[in-house]
Amino acid sequence: MSLTRRLIVCLDVREGRVVKGVQFEGLRDVGDPVELAERYERDGADEIVFLDIGATHEARATMLDLARRTAERLFIPLTIGGGIRTVDDMASALRAGADKVGVNSAAVLRPEIMTEGARRFGTQCIVASIDAKRDGSSWRVYTSGARVRTDLDAVEWARECVSRGAGEILLTSIDRDGARTGYDVELTRAVSAAVDVPVIASGGAGAAAHVRDVLVNGGADAALVAGIVHDGVATIDELKRAMREANIPVRMVA
Amino acid sequence: MRITLFDYGAGNLHSLAKALRGDGRDVRAETDARAALVTDLLVLPGVGAFEPAARALDGGREAMRDAIQSGLPCLGICLGMQLLFDSSDEGEGAGLGVFSGRVTKLRTKRTPQIGWNSIDDTTDPLFAGAHLETAYYANSFACRAADESAVTAWSSHEGDRFPAAVRSGNTLGVQFHPEKSSAPGVAFIRDYLNIISNS
Repeated sequence: MSLTRRLIVCLDVREGRVVKGVQFEGLRDVGDPVELAERYERDGADEIVFLDIGATHEARATMLDLARRTAERLFIPLTIGGGIRTVDDMASALRAGADKVGVNSAAVLRPEIMTEGARRFGTQCIVASIDAKRDGSSWRVYTSGARVRTDLDAVEWARECVSRGAGEILLTSIDRDGARTGYDVELTRAVSAAVDVPVIASGGAGAAAHVRDVLVNGGADAALVAGIVHDGVATIDELKRAMREANIPVRMVA
Repeated sequence: MRITLFDYGAGNLHSLAKALRGDGRDVRAETDARAALVTDLLVLPGVGAFEPAARALDGGREAMRDAIQSGLPCLGICLGMQLLFDSSDEGEGAGLGVFSGRVTKLRTKRTPQIGWNSIDDTTDPLFAGAHLETAYYANSFACRAADESAVTAWSSHEGDRFPAAVRSGNTLGVQFHPEKSSAPGVAFIRDYLNIISNS
């Protein structure tokens, strides 16, 4: 047997609450990240990502409290991204209950943060989060919530992140994010061929076929979903069944 | 039952502490290797790098090894399992040497191994009892046990077959993270705790 491919659920969190519409029948407090994370674990999600989109100083303390409460109840891995600026921020997130931390803008500003984090916590804790947008025949890296264009080529940057200590790449296509027209398979394939660490494809999932496509043809180790499961377009179970039918190794829950 | 997490300062102990707690079990974290031995179960948690963790054993390494070899129940998870062995390619320093063998890098293209892998060839009934068939891993290194009879389960990543678990009496080392392996992983921990408290 072998390593299964993962289905990861991302929750956008602002000031301790899940933002963007999340629809679950029978769940009274639809915006509580802890309850939603638990619900997705029961449904068979392989991991949870909290993306802190507030990322102010006050929001950080709220996020740490949230991580603490989540870790008390969640028994699958939790990654926290957004607003991680320093190695001490990483330490706080991990101590609070995150298993991994995502770095994005801070890594572009100061790539050493990945090396320092990896040395202290192990490479398996350090997720390089890359937001990429197509630019002619290649892809450009953007930071600050996809608002700021950099000079970095996404494939080259992914390689550098790994050489600096990132144990995983969370690769988001800005072009596809929220569009539900499918992942950027070409981008994913280019990055996963260039690095030897797992690549999580993100941005564009609108149907089970998209998840299957990016895992089979994009070479991704994991697919990140958000809107389609929050809005009830598809369930985790349906997505995983589709993966299994395509002969992708997958963990099913009874 | 008193449970002590030996805290070498790196990572998230919350989920593990939560999985261990309950039914009158008292869970505490201890940063001093000798003080950590005043307990009914010693847990070596799984997040961090070998070198700083081995350094945290300085001053208490022999005492910890003696206590475990004299019967103190010990659960080592991921890096904690690796610390039960002699040494590691990941960094300087000595492990506890409770199991003989060296920790070496996975012989795979994709490293670290991050994700859920199947648990194969189990000889420890704990696995079947907990229905733990697929477990969460986050590791770049694996324990190459000198004595394979101590290995009670195996996993494979890109053709590299490595020990998923080793056991000797009440000393249990697991390369995966049971506390991150959802309900079956938590059941695995609970079943192990039941064995400890009944022995």
